[in-house]
Amino acid sequence: MVARSGFSAQTLSVLAALADQPSQWQHGYALAKQTDLKSGTLYPILIRLADRGLVEACWQDEPQPGRPRRHLYRLTTDGLAAAALAGAAEPASRPGPRPAPARRRVAPPAVP
Amino acid sequence: MSGPRLARHRGATRGPRRMREAVRLAVLRMTPAARRDWVEAIWAEAAEVPSGWRRLAWLAGGMRLVAREVLMRRKVGIAILFAAAAALAAATAWSGSPAYLAASHERAEVLAMVAVLGCLPLLTRWLFGPVSDSRAGRALRVSAYAAILATIPAWHVLGLVRDTRPRAGLDLRLYFLIEHGDQGLGVLLVIVMTLYAAIILWLTSQRSRITPAALRAGCRAGIVAGVVVYAVAPLGLSKQATNPWLPGSDIDPLVLLAWGLTLLAPAWAAAAAWRDTAIVSPSRPHRSRARQGISAALLTSLVSALLVTALGMGTTALMVREGWLRQWLYHGSHQLYGIMGLGALVHGNPQAIAYSHELTASSDASVFLVICIAFPLIALALTGLSALDLGEPAVHRPERPPPGGGGWPGPQLGPPPPGGGQLAGPSREKDRLLVG
Repeated sequence: MVARSGFSAQTLSVLAALADQPSQWQHGYALAKQTDLKSGTLYPILIRLADRGLVEACWQDEPQPGRPRRHLYRLTTDGLAAAALAGAAEPASRPGPRPAPARRRVAPPAVP
Repeated sequence: MSGPRLARHRGATRGPRRMREAVRLAVLRMTPAARRDWVEAIWAEAAEVPSGWRRLAWLAGGMRLVAREVLMRRKVGIAILFAAAAALAAATAWSGSPAYLAASHERAEVLAMVAVLGCLPLLTRWLFGPVSDSRAGRALRVSAYAAILATIPAWHVLGLVRDTRPRAGLDLRLYFLIEHGDQGLGVLLVIVMTLYAAIILWLTSQRSRITPAALRAGCRAGIVAGVVVYAVAPLGLSKQATNPWLPGSDIDPLVLLAWGLTLLAPAWAAAAAWRDTAIVSPSRPHRSRARQGISAALLTSLVSALLVTALGMGTTALMVREGWLRQWLYHGSHQLYGIMGLGALVHGNPQAIAYSHELTASSDASVFLVICIAFPLIALALTGLSALDLGEPAVHRPERPPPGGGGWPGPQLGPPPPGGGQLAGPSREKDRLLVG
C-alpha cells in the first residue's frame, strides 16, 4: 500500500520508529522489532531512505567485546521533515539544528 | 570444561565459523561495492538476533537483499541474460536432423561460438582486467554480444536455404544455376566473431588504456556508419537486391556518398579522439593521441561492421520467412540482373522468383564476412598511415615566441631565481644557473 505521501506503510513505520528518538542512533535489529519488519524488508527501505538523504548511517566505533561493529541509523533533517510531512512524526518532536548529513562517518561513542 | 572437551568444542565450532566467514566473503564479493556496507550491517546485526530459526530468517532476509541487488546490478544478471540469449540462439539454430552432415556442422559451430563467447569474458578479465568504469564500455560489451548472438540463428536460417537442395523442377535448375556454396564459411564466421568479441572485450577493459572520450567517439561513429551502410545495402552487397528507399542503381550518387561517409567514419572518430586526448608526456606529445585515435578508428570499424552484419543477416533471414519483406526489398526493376538467363527462366513464375531471391540473398550473406574483415583493415590502414606520418617529432623551441604573447608551447620554465639571477638558455640545464 502506498500512502498519499508517496511512502509505503512499511516505510512510514520505519520513519516513525526513527522519528521517535530522532537524535539517537538506532540499530537494525531494534528497528526490526519496533516495526515488526523482516530484515529483507527493513534494509531495502533503509537503503532507499539513505539514498534519498533521509537517513544517515554510520558504523559503531566502540563495539562490544566479541561482537562485530554494528551499523547505526538516524533521520537527517530532511528525513525528519519528510517524516513530519508524511505524518510519521510530530513536528514538535523535531530537535534543534543538526549537522549536515554525513554518511559513512564514525558514530559517537554514546550508543544506546 | 576440561582440556580435551574444550579442544573438541573449539574444533567443532571452528568449522561452522570458517564456513560462515567464507560465505560472508563470497556474498560480499558478489555484492556491488556501493551496497557492501549494508550487507555487512545485516551480517553484523545477525549476532544480536537470538540464535536458531530467527537468526537464520534474519540472514535469509539479508540474502534476499543481496540477491536482488546483485540481480539488479551487473555480473549475475548479465550472466543470466547471456545464458538465456545463448540458449535461445542455439535453440533457434538447432533444427534439422543431426544425421545430416551440414546440420551437425552447424550444431558444432553454434556450440563453439556459445562456448567461446562464454569463456572470453573470463579470459579477458584475467588478462586485461575487468570492464572499464564507463557506461559506454559496458553498453558496448552487451550490445556486441547481442549482435554476435543474433547472427547465429540468422546464419542458420540462411544456411538452410543454401544447403537444402530442391527435389526437382524449376527450383532445382535455379539451385544449380545460382552460386550458393559456403564451404568453410561457418567456421570463418565463428573465427571472425570470436576475434570481434575478443577485441571489443579488450578495448573495454581497464588495462586497454583507451579513454572514455575515444570509446564514445568510436561507438558514435560506428553506429552512424553502420546505420548508413545498412540503409544503403540492407541485404549486404548483393547485386540482385536493392532497397526500397533508394530506387536507383548500384552506382546511385547517394549510395556512393554513403559509402564515402562510411569509410571516413573511422577517420572522423580518430580525429575526435585525437582532439579530446590530453598530452600526457610533453616529450612524446603525439604518442598517446595516436594510440587513442587508432583505437577509436578500430572501434568504429568493429561497431559498424557488427551492426551491419547483425542487421543485414537478420533482415535477410527474416526475408526468407516473410513474404511481404521480400516483396518490399526486391521491388526494383533490376532484380536478378547479372545472372545470365535467370530473368527469362523465372519470368511469370512468382514462386520461382521468390526462391531465386531467397537463394541469392542467402548466398550473398557471406559478403557480411567480407565487411567484417575489410572494415577493420581499412580503418587501421587509414589511421595507421597517418600515425606513421606523424611520428614522434622532437620537442623544438623556436627562437622567438609565437605572436600574440602566448609564450612558448609546452612546459614553461620556472620563475627567475631571486637576487637578480637568470636562467640559462633553453639548451642548457638547471645546473647552469647563472646568479648575478
